[in-house]
Amino acid sequence: MTEQNTDVIQGTLDLLILKTLSLEPMHGFGISRRVQQVSRGVFKVNPGSLLTALHRLERAGWLNSEWRNTENARRARFYALTRAGKKQLEIEEAEWNRRASAVSRLLRQEA
Amino acid sequence: MSLWRQMTHGLRGLLDRSRRDREIDDELQHYFDATVADYRERGLSSEDALGAARRELGNLHSAREQARTYGWENAARAFLADLHFAGRQLRRNPSFAVAAVLILGIGIGANTAVFTFVNSILLRPLPYPGSDRLAIIYSEQGTSSRAPASMFDLYQMRQRSRVFNQIAGIWVTNRVLPGKGDPEQGKVGVVTSNFLPLFAPRPLLGRFFGPEDDLENAPSTVVLSHEVWVRKFGADPHIIGTSVPLGRGSSIVIGVLPRDFRLILPDDSSVPPNVDFFQSTPIGPWEPNGPAFLHLIGQLSTAGRLPAAQSELASIAAQINQIGDRLKIPNYHLYAFSLQDDDVREIRSTLYMLFGAVAFILLIGCANVANLLMVRSRQRHHETTIRATLGASTLRLVQQILIETLVTVFLGGAVALLLGWAAIKTIAALEPPAFANLGQVGLDLRVLAFTFAIALLISVTVALAPISTVRRLKLAQDLKHSGRSTTRRQSWPPKVLVAVEVALAFVLLVGTGLLVRTFVNVLRVDPGFRAENVFTLRVGVPNNDVLHEVQRALTALPGVQSVSTVSHLPLDDNGNWYDSYWKDDTLLDLQNTTMADMRSVLPGYFDTIGAQLLQGRDFTDSDDAAHQHVAVIDDILARHLWPGESALGKRINASDSPKGPYQFERDWLVVVGVVRHIQCHTLMATVRPQIYVPYPLAPRPSMSMVIRTSGAVPGLAVAVRKQIAALNRNVPVNRLEPLSSVIEHARAETRFISVLAVLLSIVALQLALGGIYGVLSYSVVLRTPEIGIRMALGARQVEVLRLIFAEGLLPVALGIVAGAILSALSMPLLHHFLFGIKPGSPAVYCLCILATFLLSAIAMLVPAWRAVNVDPLNALACE
Repeated sequence: MTEQNTDVIQGTLDLLILKTLSLEPMHGFGISRRVQQVSRGVFKVNPGSLLTALHRLERAGWLNSEWRNTENARRARFYALTRAGKKQLEIEEAEWNRRASAVSRLLRQEA
Repeated sequence: MSLWRQMTHGLRGLLDRSRRDREIDDELQHYFDATVADYRERGLSSEDALGAARRELGNLHSAREQARTYGWENAARAFLADLHFAGRQLRRNPSFAVAAVLILGIGIGANTAVFTFVNSILLRPLPYPGSDRLAIIYSEQGTSSRAPASMFDLYQMRQRSRVFNQIAGIWVTNRVLPGKGDPEQGKVGVVTSNFLPLFAPRPLLGRFFGPEDDLENAPSTVVLSHEVWVRKFGADPHIIGTSVPLGRGSSIVIGVLPRDFRLILPDDSSVPPNVDFFQSTPIGPWEPNGPAFLHLIGQLSTAGRLPAAQSELASIAAQINQIGDRLKIPNYHLYAFSLQDDDVREIRSTLYMLFGAVAFILLIGCANVANLLMVRSRQRHHETTIRATLGASTLRLVQQILIETLVTVFLGGAVALLLGWAAIKTIAALEPPAFANLGQVGLDLRVLAFTFAIALLISVTVALAPISTVRRLKLAQDLKHSGRSTTRRQSWPPKVLVAVEVALAFVLLVGTGLLVRTFVNVLRVDPGFRAENVFTLRVGVPNNDVLHEVQRALTALPGVQSVSTVSHLPLDDNGNWYDSYWKDDTLLDLQNTTMADMRSVLPGYFDTIGAQLLQGRDFTDSDDAAHQHVAVIDDILARHLWPGESALGKRINASDSPKGPYQFERDWLVVVGVVRHIQCHTLMATVRPQIYVPYPLAPRPSMSMVIRTSGAVPGLAVAVRKQIAALNRNVPVNRLEPLSSVIEHARAETRFISVLAVLLSIVALQLALGGIYGVLSYSVVLRTPEIGIRMALGARQVEVLRLIFAEGLLPVALGIVAGAILSALSMPLLHHFLFGIKPGSPAVYCLCILATFLLSAIAMLVPAWRAVNVDPLNALACE
């Protein structure tokens, strides 16, 4: 299997997590799969980094977590966006768009 | 919100670590299981799914570690572990711990104590409303500076000043206290009506003086101190508005001062901190050439306008000096200082000197502790090497050393607070005279912060020594040497530390030598009188007749040789009387330029206190207002006015008051005697010459009786009281004490400073000698194999001894040289404290060099003895 996996760009993991959780509360594995699917396998999240990031965002007040049963009756820790988290998502989204468009403008010019 | 979460989540993690770890494990486990399940759903067999999940997720252990190490609580946990480890290390080596903690405790404690004084006296503002706007105003007249002002001059200043809101004046004198019962002498502050509000926001009861008390026919009013109100009037809450007996009249009490009211004025102002009661005086342009006795306090309109006040006063002085009816005073200036600065101007240098001394002690202590830490880090070299080999990063090792040092230093800091507090209590109990006028001394937050800050600074500084060894670790090489003692010599840093310690201690030693010598010189000063067997007491007397009655009654007591009286006892600087004088044919311009202390006495005074009459005669009972007005002057004044001739029979112009107390007038007096100068203010300086006038020419309501006895007379004070009470003349008596106590008092400050200096240099020397001992002992331990080999090869004991002493004395010698240079540079700063000795006194330096060498050699004896007794066989077997 020769997958061209890219580690998540430094600093964007938070944005990806917040965005993913804005749809519905999810556990760690769910977030990881969703990021992989939506990015069509471009981004691969390492579980250690993901868990650390989740705990950090929770401490920052942007996520809440609780232990719940999954649909197949396994206990898992579910993370949900808080009100502050939603606001943070908006901020980070806007910031990302600003940068991305700046970078792509630059690239177009170079070409 | 998030800060709160940081804290609560972190604390939860800290307190219940296993639960948090379990949660992380569970979460990861679920992650793994879900991944496996996902692969199986995609159709892989259980085994393949397991393998695929493992490949995808990689090493779960490292993921767990990554998740676990997140959060501040992990740093905190590492810190706690280090603390715990540090505690264990200290307990494992208690002699090191005790030595380091004690050395630091003494060093920091001395600094804490001195800083407490600096803080309370120099840094804390005076306890008055708007204290930063208070200034003290002096005049300079002729040759006297820091002189008080006359009422006329105060009036003129008030008329002209814009920069000062208020200019108030005070003058303290002795008077009988108001109230019934036995008459009692006390201190009255005669103040302008605007004086008291500058020193207290409000009275405890009633009111302060106001303009209404300045009116011409205003009734006599008093404001009582809290102490007098309680003691004489039983703290009567209804006292305001009542009339109380005062002297031969009565006065209305209008106010009572708060309990903590204190006048903090400069020492030389003759205004004591506690005045018993106050009366007010109006100010007006009535006497252009009246006597100058008012101490002036000005309140600036806004803080920081002192320079403006200064230039304004300069022009006011020039204007006043041009006023027609007022005699022009040559060299007349007015100047103002911040009251706080002026209050502490004497003690400031004392405190700075002390601060310098204790800073030296702290440095010596630090050098010692740095050396101890270095020795210890050598002893633990093996352990450190192993930890480094097992993967401890340099940062981690440095952190561990820092924390161990911090623990040690802060334990020292805790001891320091205890010692410092004890030192402050002890010093305060000694009642050092220089501090008497100043505020309360105590620990506060600023002192704690200071102690904490120097502890922190010291930790980082002394930790540098062991840290430097960590950075030089060479693992492979060091492991090979593991556990074996090395024969290499100690490197140079310990010797440098010894040299530094010796240098610092030497400076303190020289300073102490100079101060002790000063004290000895002060002890040897001839004050101009003989205090042995002279007893004094203060009496309030209405007139000449009663004074003579008292004199006769006291002379009749058994054991009494002679009795006389004086208005101002020598060396008792509470209240003074001085004025300008001139001789015949003095130009008008020069008439007000020189001042002398004026003293009113009865015949027999000089004999009684053992003063030396050099020429002419003492007063007689017929020297009064009706006869020729006469004076006795001291030899300094005689030499000044009539150098090379006899003063007898010459005329001198001075003020006296033949019409009654304080009714001064200028008068020509004929000199009938010359007496040797008596030290009146301090033992060390001749402030002014003296003019004595007979009591009938200058009667004063308060006089000091002097009684010479043939020997010790037990119960004299009681007998004196009884005898005076028996006269039934209502004569108040107080301050019964031997004349020697005023000499003791005059020596107290020098004594205090030299005792303190001796204590401090003992501590410094002890620390330095301890350092020498420690460094040399360790060096002997390191060199034991070498010494063993030398002895096995036939070296004699003397040679070994020479070896050790050479190693020990070299840094001592270097330290002495450095210390001598430092002393030569710094001792001139002490000149203010020295008397009869030069800062560069060769005798003191020689003595100090000798003492340092001898004491250092003594400190080396034990290590040297150990070296000489090395058993070559044992030493070699150890290898």
